[in-house]
Amino acid sequence: MKLQTFTNLNYILVSAFIYAIVAVSFYLAVEHVIYDEVDTRLLVEKSDFENFVDRHGYSETSFYFVEDKLDVNPASAPSPVVFTDTILQHRYDARSVPFRQVSFDKEIGGKLYRVSIRKSLIESNHLLSVITIVMLVVLCAGLSLLNWFQQRSSKRLWKPFYDALSKAQEFNIHHGDKLTLPPQKIYEFNELNSALNKMTEKIIGDYQNLKEFTENASHEIQTPLALINSRVEGLIQDSSISGKHVRWIQDIHESALRLSKLNQALLLLAKIDNGQYQAAEAVDLNKVLHKHLDKMEELFSLRSIQVSIDKNEPFNAMINPSLADILVSNLLNNAVKHNLRNSGFIAISVAKNKLTVVNTGLPLTVEPSKLFERFQKQNASTGSLGLGLAIVKKICEISQLGLQYHYDDGLHTISVTKSVVAATDEYLTSTYNISIQ
Amino acid sequence: MKVLIIEDERILAEGITNHLVKEGFLCEVVHSYADAIPKIHLYQYDCIIIDINLPDGIGFDLIKALKTARSTAGIIVISARNAVEDKIKSLDLGSDDYLTKPFHLPELNARIKSIMRRRNYGGANEIEFEEIRINYNARKVFVYSSEVALSKKEYDLLMYFLANKDIALTKASMAEHLWGENADMVDSFDVLYSHVKNLRKKLTEKGARDYIQTIYGIGYKFSKN
Repeated sequence: MKLQTFTNLNYILVSAFIYAIVAVSFYLAVEHVIYDEVDTRLLVEKSDFENFVDRHGYSETSFYFVEDKLDVNPASAPSPVVFTDTILQHRYDARSVPFRQVSFDKEIGGKLYRVSIRKSLIESNHLLSVITIVMLVVLCAGLSLLNWFQQRSSKRLWKPFYDALSKAQEFNIHHGDKLTLPPQKIYEFNELNSALNKMTEKIIGDYQNLKEFTENASHEIQTPLALINSRVEGLIQDSSISGKHVRWIQDIHESALRLSKLNQALLLLAKIDNGQYQAAEAVDLNKVLHKHLDKMEELFSLRSIQVSIDKNEPFNAMINPSLADILVSNLLNNAVKHNLRNSGFIAISVAKNKLTVVNTGLPLTVEPSKLFERFQKQNASTGSLGLGLAIVKKICEISQLGLQYHYDDGLHTISVTKSVVAATDEYLTSTYNISIQ
Repeated sequence: MKVLIIEDERILAEGITNHLVKEGFLCEVVHSYADAIPKIHLYQYDCIIIDINLPDGIGFDLIKALKTARSTAGIIVISARNAVEDKIKSLDLGSDDYLTKPFHLPELNARIKSIMRRRNYGGANEIEFEEIRINYNARKVFVYSSEVALSKKEYDLLMYFLANKDIALTKASMAEHLWGENADMVDSFDVLYSHVKNLRKKLTEKGARDYIQTIYGIGYKFSKN
């Protein structure tokens, strides 16, 4: 619910409630005033009646013109003066007419009478209803007008807020642009805007620092590694070193190389994360694939892996060309690395929207859901860094490609699809879909 | 052959120098941009090795300076920056090659020699090693004047061996030479092994001596002895 809708609704509810109370109390007040007036007049008429009776005595006829409005009955015991509402039949038609009456005792000719003087309330009631209706109409109009005005003014009032909100939603850390929201007349919005401006500036700055740090740290690591390698290579040339030490040196050498590869792979992931590979262009993944297949031919034959291509259509994806290279090469390397020692095969199919690599291999030892995470290794003893598929996933993520893994009866299937949501029907049962936004 | 090494890491510079001196290069080393400037203006070198990140300047400016001075020296950039842009930039500026740290010293050696060959250093287009003769313009290999049919990788391997005679070559450096920086290809050592085996077989079949020595646990050495 929008803030404006909420406040408007609140405003309408509260004002309706208040107006209802106002209306009721106004009605009661007017009614009270009318009764007060009628009662005063009845008392005046009572005095008039008493004066008249005292001066002229009482006879039925003398009060004929006020028939129905005067009732004189003999009374047995004295009772106090009371005002009551009553309804009487109209003289000429059958209408019931509301009356106000005052009843009092009066001695006429030594005998006690109960006298009631009445006044029709019909005009007063009419007046009351007219007043009430007019009041209701005016109040309703006022309420609507106020509400309309309030809506308009709050829309104008909140505009800077909604502007800031939409700008904040569009804010993308990778673009490196901080928010520049204009100053506002209203203090709170002005504060909000300047806070957002400062905050995004700081975020961008920190992010920039972090990126630089990651890259610098990685470069700084490369230099000592280069030193280690150059020294170790020097040692290797030294023929005076004995067999055992040669092995140690070799271990140092390999570890240093591995460290450097690891560092490079992590740096690549960091760079992709930092959006340094955002320049995408249309790349035919099929072409990239064939380039790599040619390169790896000797490897396939050495490992006696049969490679078959079932479908061979162009697959144009919007992707950074360097990343496309890495993506395909990692997929193929993965298919070779985890293939069977002998008699394995790799089946590749490239359709318009989908690249699938199927390879034979032992069942997974890691959970399928973790397959694409960093440092998840199928076999700890292989020289694998455990980053290949993590890089594949990262590349798919930033290139808006879908990525699926599926294992069935000794066959590992990894598919890269063009649309992120394209679920592959044939694998619905046991496919692990990695949700990529 | 004179080589100038511009590298601020003294140990690395020393390692490079030691290696290249063994190969018969005449090496001079400077550790800063300021020291490099007079050197490149005063003397002629056949090859200059430039580190991009120097404490007091950037190596790209040295390449520019060399090009303005119409230097004919071959330029190899070494850098810890693996960024593609840096590589492209240094090649655009006119350097002949680019190596990312950490690199293998035999690789650097092979690259220098390759540049020298491309510049036709010494006027020849053939390398001879005992009974083996290589015409590197035609990419043909002869043993006692009969041609040996080598695959591309075998040829590259032989060239790498010849660029690094009498040097123990690690398998890692050889694999990287053959398959480039993304040589983390699985089992590249197995493939390497089969290439070495084939090369050895093809050369000896034509009557060449077996110069490829296996160094246990490390790799190979191409040597007369």
